[in-house]
Amino acid sequence: MRLDSSRSLLVRLFILAVLVLVPPTAIVSYRALGAFEQGMAPEMDKKAAIVGQDLRTQLERAVGYGVPLERMVGMTEFFAPVLAANPELRYLAVSDPDGRLLYLHGAETAELQADFRTAGFGTGRDGHKISVGPYFDVALPVQAKGGAVIGHLHVGFDRAYVTDRLANIFLDVAVVLSVSLIVAFEVLLFVVFFNITGPLKVAGWVVDRVRRGDFEHVPSVWSGDEVGHFVRAMSNSVRRTDEAYRGLMAYIEEVRTAHFDAGVVARVAEVADRVRFLFRFSPDGRPAPLGQRMATDIRLPLFLFVFAEEMSRSFMPLYAGGLATPLPGLSVEMMTALPIAFFMAAIALASPWAARVTERVGSSRAFVMGMVPAALGYVMTGFVFGLFDLLLWRVVSGVGYALVTVAAQTYISQAAREEQRAQGLGVYVGAVLTASICGTGIGGLLAERIGFGATFFVSGALVVLSGVLLARIMAESEPPAVVAVAARPKFRRLLANWRFTVLMLFAAVPAKMALTGFLFFLVPMILWQSSLTLSEIARMVVLYPLVMAVTSAIASRLSDRFQWRAGLVALGGLIGGIGLLAPVVLDGTLPIAIAIIALGLSHGLSASPQLALIPDVCWTECRAFGRVSIMALVRTIERAGSVAGPLIAAAFIPMWGLNGAVIGLGVLVLALAAFFAIASGAYGSGPHIETEEETA
Amino acid sequence: MSWSLARKVSAALVAILVCTMALTAYFGYAKFAEQMSAQVQSRFSFVVFTIKRKVEDGLSLGFALRQLRQTQDTIELEKARDDRVLGIEIYDASGEVLFNTDRGGVGSAVPEAWIEVLKGAPGKAFSLTDEEAGVVGMPLVNTLGKVEGAVVLRYPAAYLEQGLGEMLGRLAFELVLVVSGFAMVAAVAAYVLLGAVTRRLGAMEATLAKVMAEGGEAVPDPGGGDDFEVRFAEFVARSREAVEHIRDSTDEVERMDRLA
Repeated sequence: MRLDSSRSLLVRLFILAVLVLVPPTAIVSYRALGAFEQGMAPEMDKKAAIVGQDLRTQLERAVGYGVPLERMVGMTEFFAPVLAANPELRYLAVSDPDGRLLYLHGAETAELQADFRTAGFGTGRDGHKISVGPYFDVALPVQAKGGAVIGHLHVGFDRAYVTDRLANIFLDVAVVLSVSLIVAFEVLLFVVFFNITGPLKVAGWVVDRVRRGDFEHVPSVWSGDEVGHFVRAMSNSVRRTDEAYRGLMAYIEEVRTAHFDAGVVARVAEVADRVRFLFRFSPDGRPAPLGQRMATDIRLPLFLFVFAEEMSRSFMPLYAGGLATPLPGLSVEMMTALPIAFFMAAIALASPWAARVTERVGSSRAFVMGMVPAALGYVMTGFVFGLFDLLLWRVVSGVGYALVTVAAQTYISQAAREEQRAQGLGVYVGAVLTASICGTGIGGLLAERIGFGATFFVSGALVVLSGVLLARIMAESEPPAVVAVAARPKFRRLLANWRFTVLMLFAAVPAKMALTGFLFFLVPMILWQSSLTLSEIARMVVLYPLVMAVTSAIASRLSDRFQWRAGLVALGGLIGGIGLLAPVVLDGTLPIAIAIIALGLSHGLSASPQLALIPDVCWTECRAFGRVSIMALVRTIERAGSVAGPLIAAAFIPMWGLNGAVIGLGVLVLALAAFFAIASGAYGSGPHIETEEETA
Repeated sequence: MSWSLARKVSAALVAILVCTMALTAYFGYAKFAEQMSAQVQSRFSFVVFTIKRKVEDGLSLGFALRQLRQTQDTIELEKARDDRVLGIEIYDASGEVLFNTDRGGVGSAVPEAWIEVLKGAPGKAFSLTDEEAGVVGMPLVNTLGKVEGAVVLRYPAAYLEQGLGEMLGRLAFELVLVVSGFAMVAAVAAYVLLGAVTRRLGAMEATLAKVMAEGGEAVPDPGGGDDFEVRFAEFVARSREAVEHIRDSTDEVERMDRLA
């Protein structure tokens, strides 16, 4: 195991996390399921008995009127509605005193007959319960007027009924466990990077300098653990050497200024030169602390923040729908779409301001500043009474979100050196994707149990936790907040670059339209209308980040290896558009699942290549205005699609219904993607410098 | 307070374990309570349904609801069959209680919500809850389809906890045991896993102190030494060399200063 490399330690710790989390969850779930089955069994027996008693009363009344038990007619019609109204019951039957089946509905005679002939059901009025193959059978004696038992009425239910009903628990447990493992991974990643790998990497830089005779720096690490202790010992060693050097230099200086023999003065000067030649010490009077921010430092706070936002992903339109009332000129659907559109618009409009704030106060402080409106927005969203309050607080949350995400991206781009920028971006994308998976999954479950409002309070608490964590990180390693202010890109000049314009309007914008219009807005409404529970909706929505996480890793490699960028963007757009057309040929929730998977695949394929394509397409603009500024503008244009998505979908609903809106959105996205696919054929490959020549 | 690496890692793992188990237990219990509640409601709904059928048989013969005197016996018999039933009431469309297993309640008015529910969805079964009781009910409909009133059955809202308190207590105890056991496993395993890192750092620190104080050489662990340890050994050597060189230089300057 390498001390300054985290991989092997992380793998071991993650295996430990799996060992500590999976077995106890499995043990407790298994024990609980057994206990729950036992707990429900008496209720099942009581239900069977009460149904049986009612049916028996009617049978005995018929027998009392003189109809022989074995010659009754219409028994199937008698039993059928009872079974239909009580789905936990599997069959109803009547047998004679020898156990021979006279009437049976809901099961096959062969399944029961042999057991019935040998069972011996008894004569107690409360009935007798036996196990028959895959069923439990409650037999109630049917008596003639004189009290003689003339047969038995049987009520059967599946032995596995309770298990089947409780099996959903395992889906919930699986979601909780998956989220816990991801959270454990994120927390361990943070603990290892922040406490071990990061400090040892800094220590390693000082080690390398000292190996070259450079004693100018000491590692800036302040933790009280073993790593901190070790690094302090190193620092003390460097400081002692520095003190010895300064003592020598002071002595030499004293000799040089006070000694009367010029020969001695010259010789001590030679000694000083020799020491300075062999070793280098800080000119500032003591070794300077050497600290280094890591892109990974901010990953856990960012993860928690995005987790908080994603918790409402699967139910925001349902929450808004419950508050929406139609206004003149605005349908209920349009009102329902507004909170998503306003949130996206707030992010788009606040992002340039957020960039300026980040430049002014530094990324860490901007991150913490963003958490204030975000947390306030989430908590107040939980308290809203009407749609207009909701819109207000979603805008506040959106402003916070813009500040935090811009600050996080700036922090990472400053922390990662140029050659490691892709890895830095991976930290951001990784945190966002895993948070999206966890937040969406657990958010639906929580909302189902504690309600929408309380789930927003949990989001607010997570944002506060994220802020506390970040404040602690800042306290230990606050970097200087000096950022070069880049020239603002000229929008018109960028739009004159046809490749850029086509990429934005026919690839980036439609992708975001599909994301917000379909996944964020239409999917929760359609699935809720299909009687899916909130946790089931969340499990469907979570397919998107799951598929995207897997696909984007592959697509990034393909894109880098074969320089196949425009093609992947075009392919992704087409897949997304075609996926949205699934409701044309299929009914129910299956086409929605297909469309979600297709969208995940689409964005997984196109997101990274699209980002990688920008520097090629805007080669001269990136040189003129800086890549960061161009990327910020790209984000802003994309968000126009995010705003438009739910509004377009909402406009389609009154005309074509929910599924029709999906298809309408699909046609629009597919048409735009098809145009891009055709246009991308003219893109060529590599940087496009002709734009510079044209504009020169 | 300074925490060791193992303590930081084990604290993180234990916190996640506790949260996971708490959420698992909460969601599991909630799902079970939901199923159990549905099953209990289903059983009581059937009881209500049988009463409804009998009352509607009487209504179809042309009797008014308040004239069906045998209904009082029917609801008392059903209550007597199940000790979980708190009470059964039959009220008319105006909300006046006509029959009640608690005979003192006859003539009183039902809560407004019980009347509202008849207006909202006539002909459909309904369930309500108040502070202490769960309520399942069904409207009573005459042959012309008019809602004449409703029959409702009340059962204890804490039915689940009362009936299964012991089982849930046992499960909670098992949960605490399992969490405690695996928390200890996490703590011990974290100490073992991070022990190697701690030992190597401690050894390097001790070597640094020894070499700087007494001289000698830092030798990377031949078994487990990695690139960092090799570089660190050079760091120690270079630091020692610098200190010795400075000391020799100081002696040299002192000598020159004294001899002159």
